[in-house]
Amino acid sequence: MTTAPVPEQTLADFANMSAALTGFQANVLRPFLDPVNLSGLYYDFAVSQVGQPAMDALLGAYRAIATQPVQIIADTLLETASPKPSNQAQICQSIVLVWYLGSWYKPAYQNNGLLGAVVQVVSSQAYTNGLVWKAAQAHPMGFSAFTFGYWSQPPASLATFGVNVSSGGGQ
Amino acid sequence: MSDPTYDVVIIGAGVSGNLIAKQLGLAGKKVLILEAGPAVPDSREQYMENFYLALAKTPESPYPSIAGRLGPGVGTLPNPADLPTPRATVLAIGQSPAESHLIQSQTAGAPINAQGDVRQLQFSSTYERVGGGTAWHWLGTSLRLVPHDLTMYSTYGVFQDWPISYDEMETLWGLAETEIGVAASVAQQEPLQAAIGLTYPPGYQYPMGPIPTSIVDQTISSAVSGMSVPGDGNENKNSEGGEEYSVFVTPTPAGRNSQPYQNRRVCAGNTNCIPICPIQAKWDPTVTLGDALDTGNVTVIYQAVAVNIAVENKSVTRIDYLQWSADANGNLTSTPQSVTGTLYVLAAHAIENAKLLLLSNDQQGIANCSDQVGRNLMDHVLYLAWALADQPVWGYRGPLATSGIESLRDGEFRSKRAAFRMEIGNEGWNFSAGDPYTTTLDLILGTNNSQLNPQGQRFGGVALAEKLNFFLTRQFRFGLLLEQAPQAENRVTLDPTYKDGLGIPRPHIDYGLDTYTMEGYRVAADTCSAVFQQMGAKEFTQPTVNPYPPGRNPGPGDFSYQGKEYHLYGAGHIMGTHRMGADSSDSVVDASQRSHDVPNLWIVGSGSFPTVATANPTLTLMALAFKSAQSILAALGS
Amino acid sequence: MKKLATILVLALAVGCRKEVPNTAATTAAAKTAPAAAKTSAPSGPAIVLSPAIPGDAQFGALPPNATNFQKLLAIQGDFDIYSWNAFIALNWPPGPGGKGDPKKTIGQDGDNDTVWEHYRDVADVFLPGGKPPTWKGGTGDVPPECKADYAPGMRILSQVGKTPTVLTEFSQPFNTGPLIDQNGVYTRYEILVNKPMFDYILSNSLYSKAGQQVFSGAVKFPCGVLGGAEGAIMVKSAWKVIDPADKSRFHSEQVLVYSPASQNPSYPAACSKQTVGLVGLHIGHKTNSGAQWLWSTFEHVDNVPTQADIAGGMLKASYNYYNPKCTAADCPANQVPPRPWNPTLVSSFHSQIVRIDTFKGNEFAAESAKARNADALKLLVGVNPNSVWRNYELISTQWPTNTGTCEATPGDPLGTPAPTFLANTTAETYIQGMVPNVSSSCIECHNNATMTTPVASDFTYVLQRAQ
Repeated sequence: MTTAPVPEQTLADFANMSAALTGFQANVLRPFLDPVNLSGLYYDFAVSQVGQPAMDALLGAYRAIATQPVQIIADTLLETASPKPSNQAQICQSIVLVWYLGSWYKPAYQNNGLLGAVVQVVSSQAYTNGLVWKAAQAHPMGFSAFTFGYWSQPPASLATFGVNVSSGGGQ
Repeated sequence: MSDPTYDVVIIGAGVSGNLIAKQLGLAGKKVLILEAGPAVPDSREQYMENFYLALAKTPESPYPSIAGRLGPGVGTLPNPADLPTPRATVLAIGQSPAESHLIQSQTAGAPINAQGDVRQLQFSSTYERVGGGTAWHWLGTSLRLVPHDLTMYSTYGVFQDWPISYDEMETLWGLAETEIGVAASVAQQEPLQAAIGLTYPPGYQYPMGPIPTSIVDQTISSAVSGMSVPGDGNENKNSEGGEEYSVFVTPTPAGRNSQPYQNRRVCAGNTNCIPICPIQAKWDPTVTLGDALDTGNVTVIYQAVAVNIAVENKSVTRIDYLQWSADANGNLTSTPQSVTGTLYVLAAHAIENAKLLLLSNDQQGIANCSDQVGRNLMDHVLYLAWALADQPVWGYRGPLATSGIESLRDGEFRSKRAAFRMEIGNEGWNFSAGDPYTTTLDLILGTNNSQLNPQGQRFGGVALAEKLNFFLTRQFRFGLLLEQAPQAENRVTLDPTYKDGLGIPRPHIDYGLDTYTMEGYRVAADTCSAVFQQMGAKEFTQPTVNPYPPGRNPGPGDFSYQGKEYHLYGAGHIMGTHRMGADSSDSVVDASQRSHDVPNLWIVGSGSFPTVATANPTLTLMALAFKSAQSILAALGS
Repeated sequence: MKKLATILVLALAVGCRKEVPNTAATTAAAKTAPAAAKTSAPSGPAIVLSPAIPGDAQFGALPPNATNFQKLLAIQGDFDIYSWNAFIALNWPPGPGGKGDPKKTIGQDGDNDTVWEHYRDVADVFLPGGKPPTWKGGTGDVPPECKADYAPGMRILSQVGKTPTVLTEFSQPFNTGPLIDQNGVYTRYEILVNKPMFDYILSNSLYSKAGQQVFSGAVKFPCGVLGGAEGAIMVKSAWKVIDPADKSRFHSEQVLVYSPASQNPSYPAACSKQTVGLVGLHIGHKTNSGAQWLWSTFEHVDNVPTQADIAGGMLKASYNYYNPKCTAADCPANQVPPRPWNPTLVSSFHSQIVRIDTFKGNEFAAESAKARNADALKLLVGVNPNSVWRNYELISTQWPTNTGTCEATPGDPLGTPAPTFLANTTAETYIQGMVPNVSSSCIECHNNATMTTPVASDFTYVLQRAQ
């Protein structure tokens, strides 16, 4: 099935929205030069799971608040204060999870309300580029770009690992 | 086929089998290895891809058969009745025979018998059946035993002595340490001489320098400085003359490169030793197998499952095996074959060794005048304890373990309860709680499977990243390897009902713990809690500390002892099923692992251990394999 | 912390747009633009017939509003141009001082001696006993088995596969094995270093174990600069024994093929004079834009078919490492030869090698190489239609997309290489694939390189050869 390539702006919006949702710098998720193209990979995978209309609606909701501070964007789209997040918020949860863990988890509304049902690891590169390891100031288990003995010393700062740290956050 | 074409036929291409093949090949002997599983691949690309895509990154996850690729609730594990070489896997522990290769007599909330022993407990260790064997996924820990480990009966009046001296073992360990390439420093081990009697030959040097310690190690080490614990674990009881044991951290000798060695790279801290080192900085048996093949005297036949060791007049006359293949749909075909040698070695690991011995001779069994084959099944039963440090310790970095508290591995208490070593884990709560996945899911979805999100909050954005960072950088765990007591009723037998895809009966397991071992658990739990307290760390161990979730039903891996709940983990160290001894009436093999009853058969591996002490078994089983190779060469008349 | 994309901007002729990326790269651009302006070709980067070894890649402008693919394609193109310029300059006939002779042109007489073949072989840098090497030093002791055939100046090829015979040396990881040609003869390799790399090793005493043990600080080879310093260059060449009648298709040399004695597998030393043809050339170059080095890899065009060639039935009559007449069932592809590996014997096993596509998702790499190869071919054939150099093609160049000037960006030690995976079928034969941390990626694997101590050695394994 051949489809037209996703417009660059759409991917940029998806990446910027993901950056706000995940708390990482946008140029970590979608660098200026991007041979790995995770944002393209995840955009396509998410659309295959939730459908284009839902993705379009989500990006529309993002664009409407895109100029807000990133924490507000995250809390708004994820509805973090709500005891019953909407379907759209649940899609955001799955998007955050795929960026962090490299695996796609079904939004609960697609699974009779069951939380955290995993579909698959999206790809080996999705796993090795998972953000959770950066949040731990570490590296994916099975993929270290560091050198012998690094573990004896404290890691670089959370900001160096790409988190968009608030002042006074991280260590 | 009465003319042997091989000097030696070896069943199993694992640690022992490959080492013996190499020694024999170097001496010009013709060797055939029959390996049940598929060939060693040309690169580890497929294994690593399997690992990356596995939802449950268990020890078995890289290795062939799709078990491990699927997580709980996502599809089912393959039925061992359909597989040519099913094996015990982590995902199948506690499952029904439709998923578990081992047929376990197990009951939830394992019952206690009249002796106070727990029975019908699920045996919780696993193994592989592939070229290279189970030690593809060993951790790399290469500890020597201490002198009293070999003399439990003479010293403490319990169990058995090993029929081999510490002096001789020192020489053999040295050979094994060179073969593997163990990184350590004798000077760093020196405090253990006073503590547990560990000694080295004068002037001994390890092949390469030690692996640097982690921040987790360093943090624990400073915190426990000056700490000691009572041997009976009852700090508050006025135990007369009760021994106190010093608690301190020691770097762990390990089979991973601290310099380039054997054309393999230096460790880069991939934190993945189990299940697979991506860059082979950690030694694995395929290295030794390559050397064996280089001699030009060793042949390997893969996908060859031995089904019968034919014995006539106390002598093995041939090995019958099934050469199997599978088509793209998993349909099996197999062809019966036979092979003969002058001498034979059974090296298929402790459970499969026992199974084959019991299966041979039309299921009447061979080499079992002692009735000990399959009995005394032991593990290093594992007590897992985990906590949040009060400051970042930055786990998930470096090798999976770089140090341990080894100073509690010996003492007077061994006459009454199991000793243990405390492995310090560098991988956060990965083993204990399935992290970093569990906590990530909790903080995004509002669940609380990690126990770190009791309010069920949900986070996003930088708040999420910072909260995750807070927890992940403070997570750490201990894994305590307890010396399980040998019990004749813990055993491997042939299951009368269930067979594998080749029609071979599967192993039936009867298993439990006695009070000697469980008392060790109790002290282990208290010791961990004491160390956590000393560190100012907050403990989250389940189910021992406040079973979570409240009201959970015990499963077949849970047991109670003196009012506390414990969960049994296996360290992956399967031992005891063909134990060595001087007395042929209650042991299966001698100190060279040669069968007492069938003198042209050697039965090798950790199944030969009569007692298990607290050191990870690979170094010792390889050391014993060197001795076996020497005795095989002597028997061949060279 | 913002990452620096090393997009260097060239001052172009009037009428062309200057694309300034909206990152902090302009500082880097300002540093290098003046140097670039001095030596820039009038209309942007191009493959040229020149003996001048490029100190670094030269960058053209990015198309306006470029998509990610277009950006990558453009910059990959610049690096591939650099690779061809490096190939041409390194294979230029040398003058008496060893530099490319401006009075000659590559391939003008068909074949020619080359600049890189006068670099120092690592066997002559890391000497027995850790003796200090000299740049002008000879080829070390001639092994006794070779003395009969030896003439002064002859090269001795001893390395078999990336699995050297000295136990302490690093080789390719896992059970990678030798590459055996269709005549049952083992492929031979050499590794050579240029003068700046040699000088760094010498001046820091890294040529011996003892010297490495007392070395403190970080190993950091010198960076090449466009129009300036050459920077450290290491070359790995792969050679196949050829029939002298085939010389017109290869760059070839008469060498001594030497196999040192081996214990396990056990065989005595052997040496013979052979005509060998170049089948693979790796160039690793430390530059300002390549803190993780730039990795250019070339192959002889007759080496192997691709998966697509086989699927489409478009096979040549013969290949260096593939028998088109042998079926997949009889000759499964890309299998490691069975042990024991004895290079002194003619092997009954012949390697049946296929090029695996490792550019899925990185199609810009394939597209760029194809275009640059066509450009280079025109130039080389234009010198002489019988130039042996027309028989070589660039597979790709691996370069770091996210890096600083001559040093890594904090937080990204590998520099996020493009293409993500890259393999030469003569040197990474058995790890062609797309599995992270295992399949061939120059930068990923070389990032694990250390000295004989575990100290990181700046992306080169040569320091492990120290004795």
